[in-house]
Amino acid sequence: MFSLLAQITWKQWRVHRLRTLLTLMGIALGVAVFFAVRTANLTLISSLTLTIEKLAGKATLQITGGEAGFPEAVWDTVRDTPGVRVAQPVIEVIANTAFEDEGNLMVVGVDMLGDSELREYQFDEEGTEIADPLIALAQPDSILVSRIFAEKHNLKDGDKLPLFTSQGRKDFIVRGIIKPAGLGEIFGGQIAVMDVFNMQFVFNRGRNFDRIDLMNESDVTVDELQKRLRERLAAGIEVGRPASRGQGIENAVSAMRIGMTVASFVALLVGVFIIFNSFSISVNQRWKEIGILRALGVERPNVQRMFLGESVLMGIIGSALGVVLGFFFAVGAERVMSDIASKIFGYVATQQPPVFRWDYALTAFVVGVVTSLIGAWLPSRAASRLNPIMALHNIETRQRENVLGWTRMLIGAAMVVSGLALIRFAPARVKLDIQYGYSLLMLFGLILLLPKLTEWIARLMRPFFDRLFGSEGLIAVDTMILSPRRTSATVGALMIGLMFVFSMGAYVRSYQQTVSTWMDRMINSDIIISATEMARSRTYHFSEDLSKKVAGIPGVKRIENARIIFVPYADDSIAIVSLETEGWFLRVKDVIEEADSDKARESVIAGEGILAARNFAARYNLGVGDHIRLNTPTEIFDRPIVGIIEDYTSEKGSIFMDRALYKRYWNDSSVDIIEVNLEAGTNANAIKTEIQRVTKGEHRAFIYTNSEYKSWVLNLINGFFVLNYMQMAIAIIVAALGIINSLLISVSERKREIGVLRAIGGLRSQIRRMILLEASAIVIVGVLIGALAGLLNTYFLVRTASIMIGGYTVPFRFPIWIVIASLPFALIIALAAAWWPARKAVNLRVIEALGYE
Amino acid sequence: MMIQLENVTREYGDGKLVHALDGVSLTIDRGERVAVMGPSGSGKSTLLNLICGLDEPTSGVIRIDGADIAGLDDDARTRLRREKIGMIFQTFNLLPTLSATENVALPLRLQGLSRRDAETRANSMLGKVGLAGRSSHRPDELSGGERQRVAIARALIFDPPILLADEPTGNLDSHTGEEILTLLDNLHREYNTTVLMVTHNEEAAAYCDRVLRLRDGRVVKEEVVKATRLGG
Ligand SMILES: Nc1ncnc2c1ncn2[C@@H]1O[C@H](COP(=O)(O)OP(=O)(O)O)[C@@H](O)[C@H]1O
Ligand SMILES: [Mg+2]
Repeated sequence: MFSLLAQITWKQWRVHRLRTLLTLMGIALGVAVFFAVRTANLTLISSLTLTIEKLAGKATLQITGGEAGFPEAVWDTVRDTPGVRVAQPVIEVIANTAFEDEGNLMVVGVDMLGDSELREYQFDEEGTEIADPLIALAQPDSILVSRIFAEKHNLKDGDKLPLFTSQGRKDFIVRGIIKPAGLGEIFGGQIAVMDVFNMQFVFNRGRNFDRIDLMNESDVTVDELQKRLRERLAAGIEVGRPASRGQGIENAVSAMRIGMTVASFVALLVGVFIIFNSFSISVNQRWKEIGILRALGVERPNVQRMFLGESVLMGIIGSALGVVLGFFFAVGAERVMSDIASKIFGYVATQQPPVFRWDYALTAFVVGVVTSLIGAWLPSRAASRLNPIMALHNIETRQRENVLGWTRMLIGAAMVVSGLALIRFAPARVKLDIQYGYSLLMLFGLILLLPKLTEWIARLMRPFFDRLFGSEGLIAVDTMILSPRRTSATVGALMIGLMFVFSMGAYVRSYQQTVSTWMDRMINSDIIISATEMARSRTYHFSEDLSKKVAGIPGVKRIENARIIFVPYADDSIAIVSLETEGWFLRVKDVIEEADSDKARESVIAGEGILAARNFAARYNLGVGDHIRLNTPTEIFDRPIVGIIEDYTSEKGSIFMDRALYKRYWNDSSVDIIEVNLEAGTNANAIKTEIQRVTKGEHRAFIYTNSEYKSWVLNLINGFFVLNYMQMAIAIIVAALGIINSLLISVSERKREIGVLRAIGGLRSQIRRMILLEASAIVIVGVLIGALAGLLNTYFLVRTASIMIGGYTVPFRFPIWIVIASLPFALIIALAAAWWPARKAVNLRVIEALGYE
Repeated sequence: MMIQLENVTREYGDGKLVHALDGVSLTIDRGERVAVMGPSGSGKSTLLNLICGLDEPTSGVIRIDGADIAGLDDDARTRLRREKIGMIFQTFNLLPTLSATENVALPLRLQGLSRRDAETRANSMLGKVGLAGRSSHRPDELSGGERQRVAIARALIFDPPILLADEPTGNLDSHTGEEILTLLDNLHREYNTTVLMVTHNEEAAAYCDRVLRLRDGRVVKEEVVKATRLGG
């Protein structure tokens, strides 16, 4: 029995080759995105971790102290701890060379005399005239570079390598070239090694280290040593294995992963619709065949099994395609993600080819097959319930599809309403997965409503199309109305794709506007000097010397130094924004909410209290009067919140404190941003040029006027949303596939009708118009329903997701122009998608079509 | 004369050729009614398809109303059909999504008439075929005989000089078939359409002026009928 049914299925596939292919692509794309997201994420994490591991060398434990580092005294404590065999201090800085075309260079500072016990420095023999490079490194201007880097810049031993340091531009002398293995291949070979004590000076680290790498004695276990060290060190200093640091990075970039996972879910859902559509049509077309099979004695369950078996087969083939395709997607996605990781989060990846994981592939497979089964379930059930007598009876008109009833309508409406209510009233601290459930509830409600909504809108459109396009328009709309299943499956695919596009677009827009308004309030110094052109630089900073230089320029009234670091807080991290608050409060007014503004200001300036960002307060349920305790490299930091402010520095939350307070606890005098305020009547551009002149060739500094700075920030935000744009593109491609699929089916299903039209005098051009109009009609309905779904989902994003993932309160806005602007695009895509089906329809052989049973 | 064929041949296939029509010559005058009879596969449908321009002859000349249609392109042949030839089929071939009125109005609308004008004329045409009360019904709400009446109304709505019918009663019971033939007879009196009708039914042939008998793509016999109904 099975082989017979399989044979019938195979025949069907061959006859409807294009449809089969499109259906397969529907699954394949969904699976591809699903697989690519996981693979890209894994690749990103592992390439970030790889950097850590290669840098760690043979170290079994690492001591870290957050971004600001920790005092040298820690090194003494560690060395004195029994069980420590080697302990070596490290400083890492992503610096910039003064070479014209060169970007970043990772400079690792180590204590050269002791470090070779931990890390292997395989020096190139040729050209190394210095007998012992390690001794040469005792000279403060020495630097070792990787061979990759040396070859790129034609550097030999003794050559000069100019670097921008916190002390300005400095020339270093190459005194050794490291082989491209281990240390020498990190960061694509963009790596150099320097003396750690020299680095403290040139990169303004005071008497701090970033890290201590250590090895245990063989008589102590790593765990035991870790415990001993833990007891001896201040709470803000962490002791861990090198491998475990990858986890921290994963947390930091989690917002990206969550976004991508949602996109893959959208793609899969669209896949369900494509399968559903394809199988509904298949059942409809094979109406008679099913009747014959039933009459010949094939039982109901076997008919259903035949279709389900077909869907499983589709699922398997589609998933296989999807995994292959996904692997290629992963390459692109990983590139974007690691770009964001470095631009926004400041992490460095050692680029790697994507990692193929069998378990991911297997999961993707299962997901693909299940998707396919879900899509085929209803159609296959319909097939098995077919009345064989009816099917065999030679009725001329196609069977009318039954339109879904009012019960389903009511259930759908109830689901949408309860989804909305949950979003509105549910508490914010519910787990994210559950919150996504609200959105899903609305979505499934809408799916239940789809057939009726589609029918209503189509009926509204009928007179318009009739008037505008004549009989072709009429037939186009009628075809939609009379095939509610096919139409709503296509509209459904479109709806989900567009919902995603609209709500993301709306969210991005609202977010940008919010940040824009916020910046207008908060950012009002005339010139802003940043240490990086990216969102932040974790390792490279200015020293206060530069600020003093800038302050001395005539026309500059006052400068303020700002430093932003991330510190661990309650299993996650938060940003500390430290400012010279006295000056800051002079220019930024009325920012403190929920407290007596004057008192709060005094308290912050005096270093007695801090300000908390609204997102931080909301996230951890804190308010004015609550104390914030933080571990620092020195002692426990403990200050009350004296006011709440609106801030968009980090989606994880931020607190504001006076710079003096920060310096005291974190032992860190570095500067990330210099805010420059000018004397009244001074030309900002002239001063900017002057600052550029002062810093040129000396400092790597990015100087913006106020408006330049704001547009630069908006640009950065856009960069973060690149991922979302990719997701939108995928959603659109999948939806377009749905349209092509549906129209092709529509054409092959209506061969006879088209033949009749041609026989009674329909020109080819009129047939073409009809198909194109049908595509347009579907798209118009899809855009309208997609707008509705988008509206609902925007509400969800703004209410729930933004608090949970983004951490920001973004006002609800749904710019209707997104919908209007998308219509022409959607129409163009639809018309392009309809081109091939229309061609098929036009070239139909009329005589055959008329005789078509 | 209305329809003229000169030595028309239509071959199918590349290797082993099938001569669906093999050197057929015939002339049909304006207002004449001709029945085409013959066993299955004898080339009856092929003949009709060639005349209405849905198919092209391998060789020979076909003239409709004096004009040779051999050299025309698809659009021109479609226009010819649209203006001069109404067609009825064994399986009715109505569009299932459209109401009776909309089906009947279709040819006019394809010619560019406004919906209102087209449907007014369609409704009066439906009256003539005896379906005044059923204009808003869809095909699946109509009986076989009623569907064929709709098809006839659609074929004659633009007053074509030629009506081609391929076994118009083939899917109907004999009583309903009789009704359809009577209807066609009445309409012929009103419009004086030239009719070419394929049929298996000798009684149906009796409604015609002349019978062509085909076999293996050739005209084997032509006979003039004394139209029994008229005479009776
Ligand atoms: N498209 C075609 N391809 C090949 N052979 C065809 C085609 N159409 C008709 N024929 C052949 O031409 C002959 C005449 O067919 P047709 O005109 O349909 O016969 P009738 O209508 O008298 O039953 C038959 O032998 C048929 O098999
Ligand atoms: Mg025939």
